[in-house]
Amino acid sequence: MRFLAKEKDISDQIINNSRSMISIIDRNYIYEKVNTTFCDAHQVVIDSIVGKSLGDVWGHETFQNMIKSNIDLCFSGKTVKYEASFNTPQLGKRYFEVVFRPLSVETGEITHLLAETFDINDLRLSKQAAIEKEEEFRKFETNLPIGFLRCDPEGKILHANKAFLKIMECHDEVSITNMSLRSFYPEEGFFEMQYDQLLECNTKTFGRVSLKNCRGKEIPCRISGFLAVDESGAPSFVDFAVEDSSRELMLENRLLQAQKLETIGALAGGIAHDFNNILATISGYSEMLQDDLLKHSALSEKVSKIQGAVLKAQSITNQILTFSRQVEQEKILISVSEVLKETIGFVKSAIPSNIMVKSRIPKKNANVFADPTQLFRVFLNLMTNAIQSMEEEGGTLSVNLAVVEGKFVQHELNKGIVADEYVLLTFKDTGKGMEPSLIGRIFEPFFTTREVGEGTGLGLSVIHGIITEMEGEILVSSKKEKGSVFYVYLPVSKAYPDLSGKEDKRKKILFITGNKYESRILSLALENTGYELIYISDRRHLIKVMAYINERPDLVIYMSDSKQIQPEDLVGIFHRLNINTPCILITDPNQELLEEKLLNSGIIKQHLIKPVSLKEIRNAIQISLK
Amino acid sequence: MPGVLIVEDDKELREMLKISLIRRKFTVLEAANGKDAIIHFKPSITDLVVTDLIMPEEDGLKVIMKLRELKPSIRIIAISGGGKAGPGSYLNLAKALGADAIYSKPFSINDLIAKIEELLNNEQHT
Repeated sequence: MRFLAKEKDISDQIINNSRSMISIIDRNYIYEKVNTTFCDAHQVVIDSIVGKSLGDVWGHETFQNMIKSNIDLCFSGKTVKYEASFNTPQLGKRYFEVVFRPLSVETGEITHLLAETFDINDLRLSKQAAIEKEEEFRKFETNLPIGFLRCDPEGKILHANKAFLKIMECHDEVSITNMSLRSFYPEEGFFEMQYDQLLECNTKTFGRVSLKNCRGKEIPCRISGFLAVDESGAPSFVDFAVEDSSRELMLENRLLQAQKLETIGALAGGIAHDFNNILATISGYSEMLQDDLLKHSALSEKVSKIQGAVLKAQSITNQILTFSRQVEQEKILISVSEVLKETIGFVKSAIPSNIMVKSRIPKKNANVFADPTQLFRVFLNLMTNAIQSMEEEGGTLSVNLAVVEGKFVQHELNKGIVADEYVLLTFKDTGKGMEPSLIGRIFEPFFTTREVGEGTGLGLSVIHGIITEMEGEILVSSKKEKGSVFYVYLPVSKAYPDLSGKEDKRKKILFITGNKYESRILSLALENTGYELIYISDRRHLIKVMAYINERPDLVIYMSDSKQIQPEDLVGIFHRLNINTPCILITDPNQELLEEKLLNSGIIKQHLIKPVSLKEIRNAIQISLK
Repeated sequence: MPGVLIVEDDKELREMLKISLIRRKFTVLEAANGKDAIIHFKPSITDLVVTDLIMPEEDGLKVIMKLRELKPSIRIIAISGGGKAGPGSYLNLAKALGADAIYSKPFSINDLIAKIEELLNNEQHT
């Protein structure tokens, strides 16, 4: 008996010191026996539990909802195991694992059950934390802008994140799982080579590699690999990070092109400068020769041809100097939309019928700091190029103007932004377009896609120089047989023009002539009279005339032997710009018929016939300005 | 006859200017760069200087400043084939520094000579 009593003591000790709450419950849901752990958890003594019902101890509601059905199930002969949270007086709400085991007497009848309740609160919390951590990591990996994938040691894709699917233009993860990463490499043996390198050094960032995406397009990618090994040192899996570097590549190329243009510009500028010395020598000697020769003689005419060629060469060196930004631009604050509208109007008057010009110019005004003549030249050249590319097939030229915030365009530009706002002009045609390999070169001087003899190939390089000088940028995109789009970004200038100097009250006279000598004489004659004389005699005549007339001079003197500026052009400009400036016409005696149209246009206030004395001109000016 | 100094580093152009001025009976002095022009400047026989702007050694802008200092009454014509400093062209800078006239290359030699004569005539009157 003593042994038995002792044995009972030992088993009681074991039961009481168990970390589980142990109890025996009868069919009436009454506690028949509980261990010390149970009582400690409820902060009561054993006697106060034994004989009480489960409802009394756990609360009747908890008993009905969470306990009773499990106990009934156990009394039907099954061991029941479940997790639940209960309120305990000692520790508050905690998670428990509960096990009910049926206890039967010898007859096989189940009279009691053994309840074991383990506190799994800590376990459960750490499990929860692990799940949350994993979810967080999954979210991070999914949203990572860098493609991430895990492969088995054979290169078979086990998992890929969203960014990788996006780079590869794949629909879902399923479609590429179990594919080999090898199959994305367009070049055979390349993957194996990289993999061998990984085996050697475990972690490696590879240079730029082209991967062929799900649509068959090659994407330049930057790839890093990490090889994980198991305890024996054998590869267990490989992780790859894949970055799409198309944009980086494009920016690098653009930067290279910009640097190249800068270099060519410096070089070409130097050559143009030396070339002007040579031209000055040729021009000087031929003028001296001309003076020595009889006027209108055969030799004299040949010398005139030399002089004509010098002028032509001068125009080219001028363009090169503009491209290399060595020509001063007379910048003023000017409304881009006004210049654009004028240019469009000018272009529209002379386009073939199979070409449409559409424009969208918002009312919102934006000023830029620019030389109006040069800006006109930029727009005119871009539109003329577009029209030429559509000449055969016909098409549409769309010209748009938008004012955009600097911070939104800074990713587009090669240089840093210099203004809060930019004017973005797009010139889109549906013409021939360009081969991708040519696009990078179109701003280089003398680069042309046209036939030899059709243009000098300087137009776009001059435009590039002008826009760069304005701290703007010109970009282009083009598709062969689809057309080209030119994007011109110009910084919006909020500054007001510098008017600190004394206001110029001198009357401005615009003198249009083809004869430099005449204009020089006139300028000498008027030099000390208080008139400011602007004369135009060079080849960029029409653009200049337009820009100067738009400056609203007080008087225009038009010497009609000007070969480049046709009287019709002049009338057209006056009408288009809605200008009422008085105009003095000076013609040769035998030219009356030609000028009739001009005289009837209502623009000409006075008409003088050559030869005219300086006195006559002075008088005419005085009358016109009264 | 009035003395004209030609400062030009391009030999052929300098030669052409010299010949054209001699034809008009000017006394011609020459310098191949700005440094020589300043070192060998002879104020007593030089009435006008025609100077290029971009040259080795000292450039034309230095010539203008220095010669003005050495002989305030001197007439100066600047000629240039392009080139820009900051927002302004070299020629405009030359004008600001006191050149009486500026010409970009290539220019009309008759225009240039007319200007030289005009500048020298004005000087005689004043």
